[in-house]
Order: sequence, then C-alpha cells, then structure tokens
Amino acid sequence: MKFLTTNFLKCSVQACDTSNDNFPLSYDGSKCQLEQDESIEFNPEFLVNILDRVEWSAILQVAADLGNTSLPPNKPIFEDKNSLNEDDMAILRDLHILLIQTSIVEGEMKCKNCGHTYYIKNSIPNLLLPPHLA
Amino acid sequence: MLPTPYVKCDYEKVYEPAEDSFLLLDSLEKDQLYLSERFNNTLSVVCELGPGSGIITTFMMQNTMPTNNSIYFALDINPWALEATTDTAIRNSCEKSYLETIQSNLTSSIRNNEIDILVFNPPYVPAETIPDIPMDKNDIDTWLDLALVGGEDGMKITQLVLDQLDSILSINGVAYILFCARNKPENIVKLMKNQWSIELVEHRKAGWEVLSVYRFSRKSL
Ligand SMILES: C[S@@+](CC[C@H](N)C(=O)[O-])C[C@H]1O[C@@H](n2cnc3c(N)ncnc32)[C@H](O)[C@@H]1O
Ligand SMILES: [Zn+2]
Repeated sequence: MKFLTTNFLKCSVQACDTSNDNFPLSYDGSKCQLEQDESIEFNPEFLVNILDRVEWSAILQVAADLGNTSLPPNKPIFEDKNSLNEDDMAILRDLHILLIQTSIVEGEMKCKNCGHTYYIKNSIPNLLLPPHLA
Repeated sequence: MLPTPYVKCDYEKVYEPAEDSFLLLDSLEKDQLYLSERFNNTLSVVCELGPGSGIITTFMMQNTMPTNNSIYFALDINPWALEATTDTAIRNSCEKSYLETIQSNLTSSIRNNEIDILVFNPPYVPAETIPDIPMDKNDIDTWLDLALVGGEDGMKITQLVLDQLDSILSINGVAYILFCARNKPENIVKLMKNQWSIELVEHRKAGWEVLSVYRFSRKSL
C-alpha cells in the first residue's frame, strides 16, 4: 500500500465516524515493512494536485509513525503550478519518493478511537471487520 | 471505440466480465468528455466498488479517465478479486497508474466525501438471503455467490450505497451504478430525484434482463 493511500483510509467501524480519532490510522512502525517501488514516474503537476488535496497533518503523523520526522511542519505551497522553480521541483521530487514510491508491504495499524487493529499483507490492506464488529 | 482490457482470470474465484461489465464500460466511454471536463485540473479520486476481475478500473486507467491526474482505489470483499485486479492492470500495461486494491466492505474504509468518481456493478440478482462474508479465503463458492446475489429486489447492497451517497461522494462527485430491471430503478430515481440529479446513461437488453446504468450527482445549487 502506497504511503499516500494512508491519507484516505479510516477505521471501518461505523461508530468511529463520529469521532475525530478514526483518521489517520496509527501505524506500528516496528511492524511495518517498507519498500520503494519506482514504477510510477515523477510528474510534478500530479504531485502539486495531490498536495492540494491531502491533509498534511495526517501525512506528518503517519510519517512519524514510520520513523520519518524530517517533513516540513506546514504543507508546501506553490504559487503558480505552471512555473515551478528548481527548489519547488526538489521538494516535489522528495514528496514523490515519500507519497508514491514508498509502500508498506507488510504491516499493521490501529484505530485511535476503538483500538481495532488492521493488517497489510502482500501490500494489500485489509479493512474488513470481523462479524461481531460489522 | 476505446481499447478494452484483455482479461484472463480464474472465474471460479472472481466474477467473469459479462454484459453488465460491458454496459458500464460503454457508459464511461460515452461520458469520457463529460468527465474530463468536470475534473479538469485537479486530482481525481476514482473508486470502484467490487472490481472483480478489474476490468472496469483497468479500462479507466488505460484510457486515463477522467484525466491523467487520477488515483484509483479498487475495493472488494473478495481477496481473489484484489489479486485479479492487480494482474489485469499489469497485463494491460497500467503499472504506471496509481492503483490501490483494498479489502473493504463497500466504502466503510474510505474517509467521507473524498470520492470523485464512484463506479459500482453490484451484486444485483434478487435472492432471499445474502451469505455472510467468509472468514476463509478458500471458500470460493461463497465469494462467487457474493458477486451475484443482492437480497430482496436485488437491492440490498446497492441500497446501502445509495443511502450513504451523500457522505461518500465529494462535493463535485459522481456515481455510476448499474441496475437490472428487477431492481426497479425507476422507483429509486423517483425517490432520490429531489436531492440528486440522475441521468440514465445507457441501457440494453441482455438475454431476458434489461440492464441500465445511472449517473448520480448533486443538484447544482
Ligand atoms: C457483479 S460483480 C462485478 C465485477 C466487476 N466489477 C465487473 O463488472 O465485471 C460484483 C462484485 O462486487 C463485490 N462485492 C459484493 N459485495 C461487496 C461489498 N459489500 N463490498 C465490496 N465489494 C462487494 C463482489 O465480490 C464482486 O467482485
Ligand atoms: Zn475505530
């Protein structure tokens, strides 16, 4: 599962929807195995559009869960997406490596509200609930 | 005619593409320009529920629908469908697209109001009951049943999605959902049309079934 996907996943338990703690899930860094996958090419425009959309605080939290505390505290902004300078490109390239190329191939994560644990196996996150919670 | 994915899967484990799958492909093809204009210049989050073999999501990736700024989520309860979807994507050279396969019961695992395009060819065959989701991956007969049967009027699963549509779709979001005549889609349209703008995109007779694809979006204010 690619890092960026963590910005869209929440706990599946319906009762957790009324809490603010169902997103992002809390990833167990000691159990998450990361791999770099280079099949998707760097596309600055795509990255800028992704950044427009992501919730940066959740990116920071998950990155910290996985041991990366070097991200800027505020979401990078680009004045004009049609004229990106070299510094912008460097930032976007780093974000491409983090958000798109970094994937969690095995791992586990928990809901901060109900504590339910979900697993990632073979890069596929399993967000199904056991019958007693569904 | 847009290219259609080449699909080769184990149909003892995942739903084999059929008339319903093709009607959805035709509907998306018909709406290609509409979608590319609607989602121009922003990131689009595409989410297919129940991708099965992956034919529909792969078709969208192959033809960069809605735009080349899209990410694709394929959500199925059937673990074999997730593997098949990845295989189909690779078989059709889509490894450069952002595809995530997620084992999930409908959209329960995705944050509210984040999906720009929802596509669903649901289990729509009327039946008395719907089996429980198996705990065992190898219970393949049950996975296949779950691909087909939709409970009363075949609407049990689809209705869950329709009831939550307002919290599933982004502000600008659209949903493409397939129905068969026994689902009584005209009644659904009648009940929902005050709140939603609903278009019949394609319909077709397939054997003794009449299938239709409707597009749902919020009424513009
Ligand atoms: C009619 S098949 C469609 C397969 C494929 N999209 C196609 O058009 O050929 C329905 C799919 O929905 C999946 N499904 C059934 N119930 C589901 C649920 N509650 N959540 C997610 N997927 C579900 C089934 O596993 C199956 O893959
Ligand atoms: Zn929870």
